[in-house]
Amino acid sequence: MNGGMNITATWLATQFPELSNIQPLSRGGQKQVFSASHASDGEVVLKLMHPQQDVARTTRELVAVAQVQAARVPAILDQGTVQSSVGACFWFREQRIHGETVRGVLQRGPFQARQLLQLGLHTLESLVVAEQARIVHRDVKPENIILAPTDDFWLIDFGLARHLGLESLTATANVFGYVTWGYAPPEQCRNIKQEIDARADLFALGVTLYECATGVNPFRNGAANPLEVLKRVENDPLPRLSLQLNASRDFADLVQAMTQKRRDHRPPTSKDAHDWMKDICDQEQM
Amino acid sequence: MELYLQFGYGMMEHCRHLLSEWGGGTAVLSPRDLSAEQLQRLSSTITKLPNGRVLLDPQFYVPHTDHERLCSHDYWPSDYATGAFWQGPALTDLLTRLRDLNSTLGTQAFVLPGLLASSIDADWLEVQRATLEEANALSCDLPLIVTIALSADATRNQEQVAVLLETAANWKPHGYYLVCEHPNGSYLVDDPNWLANVLDIISGLRLGGSQVIVGYCNHQMLAAASANASAICSGTWMNVRSFPPDKFRTAYDEEIRQRATWYYCPQALSEYKIPFLDIAHRQKILSSMTPPTELDGGYADALFSGVQPSSVGFSEQMAFRHYLHCLRGQCAAAGKAGFDETSEAHEQLLDAADALLRKLAAAGIRGQQRDFFDIVDVNRAALSLLGSTRGPMLRRNWESM
Repeated sequence: MNGGMNITATWLATQFPELSNIQPLSRGGQKQVFSASHASDGEVVLKLMHPQQDVARTTRELVAVAQVQAARVPAILDQGTVQSSVGACFWFREQRIHGETVRGVLQRGPFQARQLLQLGLHTLESLVVAEQARIVHRDVKPENIILAPTDDFWLIDFGLARHLGLESLTATANVFGYVTWGYAPPEQCRNIKQEIDARADLFALGVTLYECATGVNPFRNGAANPLEVLKRVENDPLPRLSLQLNASRDFADLVQAMTQKRRDHRPPTSKDAHDWMKDICDQEQM
Repeated sequence: MELYLQFGYGMMEHCRHLLSEWGGGTAVLSPRDLSAEQLQRLSSTITKLPNGRVLLDPQFYVPHTDHERLCSHDYWPSDYATGAFWQGPALTDLLTRLRDLNSTLGTQAFVLPGLLASSIDADWLEVQRATLEEANALSCDLPLIVTIALSADATRNQEQVAVLLETAANWKPHGYYLVCEHPNGSYLVDDPNWLANVLDIISGLRLGGSQVIVGYCNHQMLAAASANASAICSGTWMNVRSFPPDKFRTAYDEEIRQRATWYYCPQALSEYKIPFLDIAHRQKILSSMTPPTELDGGYADALFSGVQPSSVGFSEQMAFRHYLHCLRGQCAAAGKAGFDETSEAHEQLLDAADALLRKLAAAGIRGQQRDFFDIVDVNRAALSLLGSTRGPMLRRNWESM
């Protein structure tokens, strides 16, 4: 049972007659995710929110992603509600990106240098567009980046995204934010909302790049619990990277800047970080 | 990095002489030390020199002061009430008078009044914002320079510094005039955290695209070159070589009490009373205290003429000019083409000073409270932290700053 809702293949086919070959992909606390085929949209992902889930949060994700019209962010194709045995279910359909998550790739070892730069460049391109739309993703991590067969890196799952112009959904009184420990910066961990902006995403991406370069997330590695992770995030600088690249030093500088504890020590915008990464890629003749 | 002359007691002739010798430069005028007529006369003299420039420090740090000379100036408000002053016509009037004074004096930029922040809080930030907003609304041809005046406690507080830099990112004036109180009134600051935060402020403001002039400095602030400071300001007496908020409260006549003559050894980053040079002479190591050729203005030649230094009548006047001439040369040499080169140059300066200081100390030659021996590690620590936190951004943006 899923939030009291009985989802069967028959029920799905009835509710979504425009879809065929509906297969489960994943299930989380808030939603279930299916792959499917659509007559005109092709391969799609169907995200079905559990009935008791926060409609406002779901709508926020939709609003966020719809505004981030970037080359490597899945497009929202359609949305609506369906009636289940336990209430209305909010759903949306988005472009399906085939490939493997960066997490999956990492399980085979650290990234090669050029692929690492590609990861950084593509993700920063998506973050630049998000920044222009005043969207903060807030959950950049290896699980939320997909390496497609085309060697493009796609940024997915804006479930925690926030539009800086909208009121926050996380209770201000919460001591800790709704975060993935080990990737979120100090200000996001501590739920200091007025301090969360695009630079939070830069921190998380910087940590992701570090982990992809070395195979290890030093904040999480061997930590006994989230509080220990938090302590490391707030107090321990990441060791400096050393890669086999012409632009090794510049890349190490960029990651070091992105992962500074204080946000005013990080690149001021995603665009600045992107331009920096672009210069590094140009040095490597990519 | 440039050296500006920080005007203080008895500096009129020093300003005229040095700026003339240097072929130009900038003097920061002090209403605390100059009457309205003297301001006019001095600025006229300086601006007539080739490349001579002036700035006016309005010294509005503690406006409740009853410092006689400060209050005598036309721009000084006769009635200062904290809250209302910064929100209405009184602020406009102050800025208008200062603008007009700057225009009369021929300054190169308009240094705005800034309150001393005992802590960097919302009220102080609002005053800063209101001042800049009002100044921008005035009709003024001069570039605007925002004064940031911080108490020692505020300077040492990392969280407050972070708030300052976040807020200042929205101000974007042409430049900043940064003055930071030394902890415990000390001449050379032995708190690396204080110095690290000063460097952090300088570099953060520079990365934001503004010029940064650091006021009331001594040679310890040669480290500011690593943060890409535009200029540091220094002068003759101790009260213009460190920022002394109390000196803007006390009466004028009480200020200059102790008058000893100190010789600045630039390669040791230390100053020595002349009797210690006698010891160096008797220990046969005086020559190691001779200023390097590129820093030598000839003011201290008599000390190294072969006779007992205390017998040559090395005057206070020559000592001051020697100090400022050396410091100017050190400032010019401090800034290099990039962050790494600049930091390494300062590290080398510190290493060389450290080695010489050990040699001098072994021979009993000490600068006492002006000895840099215990300060070398302070600068090293602050520089190291700057590299860790700002190094990548400074390396990336140095040339465009």
